[in-house]
Amino acid sequence: MTPSAAWLYPFRLAHRELRGGLGGLRVFVACVVLGVAAIAGIGSLAASLAAGIAGDARALLGGDVEARLAYRPADPAEHALLARSGALSEITQLRAMARTPDGKRQSLIELKAVDAAYPLYGRVVLSQLQDLGAALGPRNGVFGALVAPAILDRLGVKLGETIKVGEAALQVRGTIVREPDAALSGLILGPRVIIAAAALPETRLIQPGALVSYDYRLRLAAGPDAASWIAAARAAFPRAGWQLRSFADAARPLQGLIGRLAQFLSLVGLTALLVGGVGIGNAVRGHIAAKTTTIATLKCLGGSTRLVFAVYLIELLALALLGIGAGAALGALLPLAVRPFLAGMLPASARLGLYQAPLAVAALYGLLTVLVFSLWPLAAIGRIPAGALFRDLVDRRRWPVPLAAATMTAALTAALAALVIATAQDRALAWWFVAGAIGAFVIFRAAGAAVVAGAGKLGRPRRPLLRLALANLYRPGAPTAQIMLSLGIGLTVMVAVALVEGNLAREIGGRLPAEAPAFFFIDIQPDQLAGFEEIVRGTLGARFDEVPMMRGRITRLNGVPVEQAAVMPDARWALRSDRGLTYAAGLPAGSRLVAGTWWSPDYHGLPLVSFDAGLAHGMGLKVGDSLTVNLLGREITARIANLRAIDWRRLGINFALVFAPGTLEGAPQTHLAAVYLPHAQQEALVRRVTGRFPNVSAIPVREALQAVGRVVGLIGAAVRLTALVALAAGALVLGGAIAASHRRRVYDAVVLKVLGATRRAILAGFLIEYGLLGLLAALIAGTLGSVAAVFVVVRLLRIDWVFLPGPLLATLGLAMLLTLGLGLAGTWRALGAKAAPYLRND
Amino acid sequence: MTSSLHSGDPLVVVDEVQLTLGSPAGPVNILRGISLEIAAGETVSLVGPSGSGKSSLMMVLGGLERPTAGRVRVDGHDLGHLGEDGLARLRRRAVGIVFQAFHLIPTMTALENVALPLELGGHRDAFAAAAQGLDAVGLGHRLDHYPAQLSGGEQQRVAIARAFIGRPMLLLADEPTGNLDGATGSLVIDCLFEQRARHGTALLLITHDQSLAERCERQIRLADGRIIDDRRTAPLRLGAARRAR
Repeated sequence: MTPSAAWLYPFRLAHRELRGGLGGLRVFVACVVLGVAAIAGIGSLAASLAAGIAGDARALLGGDVEARLAYRPADPAEHALLARSGALSEITQLRAMARTPDGKRQSLIELKAVDAAYPLYGRVVLSQLQDLGAALGPRNGVFGALVAPAILDRLGVKLGETIKVGEAALQVRGTIVREPDAALSGLILGPRVIIAAAALPETRLIQPGALVSYDYRLRLAAGPDAASWIAAARAAFPRAGWQLRSFADAARPLQGLIGRLAQFLSLVGLTALLVGGVGIGNAVRGHIAAKTTTIATLKCLGGSTRLVFAVYLIELLALALLGIGAGAALGALLPLAVRPFLAGMLPASARLGLYQAPLAVAALYGLLTVLVFSLWPLAAIGRIPAGALFRDLVDRRRWPVPLAAATMTAALTAALAALVIATAQDRALAWWFVAGAIGAFVIFRAAGAAVVAGAGKLGRPRRPLLRLALANLYRPGAPTAQIMLSLGIGLTVMVAVALVEGNLAREIGGRLPAEAPAFFFIDIQPDQLAGFEEIVRGTLGARFDEVPMMRGRITRLNGVPVEQAAVMPDARWALRSDRGLTYAAGLPAGSRLVAGTWWSPDYHGLPLVSFDAGLAHGMGLKVGDSLTVNLLGREITARIANLRAIDWRRLGINFALVFAPGTLEGAPQTHLAAVYLPHAQQEALVRRVTGRFPNVSAIPVREALQAVGRVVGLIGAAVRLTALVALAAGALVLGGAIAASHRRRVYDAVVLKVLGATRRAILAGFLIEYGLLGLLAALIAGTLGSVAAVFVVVRLLRIDWVFLPGPLLATLGLAMLLTLGLGLAGTWRALGAKAAPYLRND
Repeated sequence: MTSSLHSGDPLVVVDEVQLTLGSPAGPVNILRGISLEIAAGETVSLVGPSGSGKSSLMMVLGGLERPTAGRVRVDGHDLGHLGEDGLARLRRRAVGIVFQAFHLIPTMTALENVALPLELGGHRDAFAAAAQGLDAVGLGHRLDHYPAQLSGGEQQRVAIARAFIGRPMLLLADEPTGNLDGATGSLVIDCLFEQRARHGTALLLITHDQSLAERCERQIRLADGRIIDDRRTAPLRLGAARRAR
């Protein structure tokens, strides 16, 4: 044989082997397809969304750059700079109340007043085809309003009817289908209402200290790029206190969010692949066992172990590539399949295309997983002697795995872990995942071994079919441990996800009635406070807390501009935009002093501030350091007098920044009130307050939390769906094991029938076996999943842990359904099998 | 299910039985009109070349294969009228089968394998009876051994003990020594005939071994799915059989 022929020979042999069909390797291919499809799908979806966001970034921001000012419009000098930089669009945003003219029904709204240039990019889609400017302009002296469809329901109005916003009467002219810049508008607590900028004065909502955001968007004229323009603007007006963002800056948090979610889902997808790995290992083990005669024959005819190993490795790799190709193709199609479902949920549409990077990563994951789980069982080839042809060898000795196979498996496992960490956006999470995955494999493998040993030690029950069921769990070669491992990991993920989600939902919804206020009233003018207090005190069972409030941006930390300061990622959010601030003589409720001392109630001196301890840690600040806040263009530098640990879960009023008396009293301000009152009184109170003070807005806490809850629910659904893929992989492994043991089950059934067992009795025996398997897997998964959930809930989410039996029972039920269902499907055929072919002498 | 056999009726009646099985090359006629009767306690050997239909006939008599045409009665029951579970109950009560390949359940000990038919029938003393049965075939010291831990001869003796544990009326044995060497084989056959004699069971023994066939009172020869010879080699000893029961 020439050297090239020798090199090709294993390939030729592998090709001949493959002609015999896939046989038991179908599960192998299915596991690869499922795992790779999950990872490739999630990656492709994330890539197409990221591309969509990048492509729509200008429309999402509404311009090439945006300058956002809180409380005050741009002064003439700032405005002049904006106006000469390109096409300018001015937008004013605030929260307000919309009411029916009779005042009987009202709703919190997110009001947006736009000029004629809006939108600079993208387009507002309305339910009725009409020109935006015409829809908002005055008709018979009445301006128009475009509303989110929810407003029509809440206020019970129809198109063409009038609503009141503040003191302005507006005609509802259409509903908003799509608003290009909605995603980056900040926290949306109420339905959107768009009006013309010219209509805003009529509302009389713009009062001193009102929570108003003035947004200036620019389509830059040819010249400097967005980043240079921002740098120039910052240099020209260093004390403007405006938030300057380019379209790329604005899209980044959204892309980051999608990236993080995609990473999390990818890890769950990888779990599916790893669970499938168990099925891959089982299939390879079964395949090698079934090929004992062929392997012995090849060796008899002079084939070396190395050659035979190469033949079967090539065969498996060929099948793996087939599976990886099919999985990647399915994954690449996922964005196409889910795009219609995501259309309403996401601000940017997925940009369809073939994204090679996520497909390559998924393929690499698939290949490494196949090798990690295949090499060990493939090494069994070395233990099959040529003499196996002449003796009926049943070698029950436990052989040590060859060092080369063990070393290669360890190296490939390390490579797999390195790939997980290298491709992760959040490295810490990736490390946790790797540790968790290894831990779960070790624990479930040990649990599986314990179940096998336990079943053996249970003794010999008198009932023969129960005995048979138990014996099937611990007989030599029983796949009990592998099934426990694969099914158990899928179930653990399901339990953990369900319990974390349940605890989160309970935290958001369940704790509410006892501790949370019913409403926050914002924008109460100082001269309205007495009247507001009078209304609340006159309402049965109502009480309220109230604090003065203003908004400002943190601009310097110890004199260093925040853009240049070293800040940990988890504290950066506090520097991105305006923060609410207040001043107080005493320590606010729900706070605990953790460093420094609280000032005396009658303090009057240099500016002092109390800061959130967690944020201070993230910004590298301690007591005695200085913090500079820009308030309406004025910079105030205060010394940090103390740090507080704040219990945000109380949902009462609290601020990260609380100033000592004597600094902010003179600044324009409004009051924020948290009102606690029984449900029955709520509507009447809101009607009375907003009827008397149209500029005051009521934020219903329950609805706000429901909005958050909906987002949590959506993310939870995505995670659960992906976890279901992991469980499906577990089911595949179980199905594969059942299929592999089919012949043995048929044989058992036939012999039992010969001895006089009825089909019902035989079925009962098989079902006991699968029921026990499901029950044990569910119990262990329930325990491990609960431990994982406690860790996430208590350590990561930092909320109270409550044991929820519902998700646990559901998982138990699912496990039983799965094992019994698959077991039943697998044994049904065994029951109906004809006895004669199995009993005839060979 | 109880015996429907009237005094003097044959234990087994086979009437014009045909068996056709499908194969890739088209239907194959395995049995082509077999008729025979076996009396209670009678020992019958079934001989013939490979492929003559011996094992198929045995499967039909054991209710493990349904004939394409014809009728089979065992212990007064028409097998064609019994469903799958009815046939299982009939075997549990009246028919013992010994295979060439033993067909023991690998995950059960010798004692458990033998006790199984009685346990399935709900007998409380299944294990005591099984221990006795194993003792009777000389395996009283191997009760807790698994099939894999027993020699071929021992496995077949376990299978014989299992076949006789329910005191069947009819024992079907398909080349019980086919997988065993000569010495072990004759030990097993002695064991089988001894058990048969003790229980007065009718025996249908498939064998290639002419000397073994001649230990039976009657010899039936099959060729190409038909009976070509049916002769008595020793007088029928029905009385012994009935007395034993």
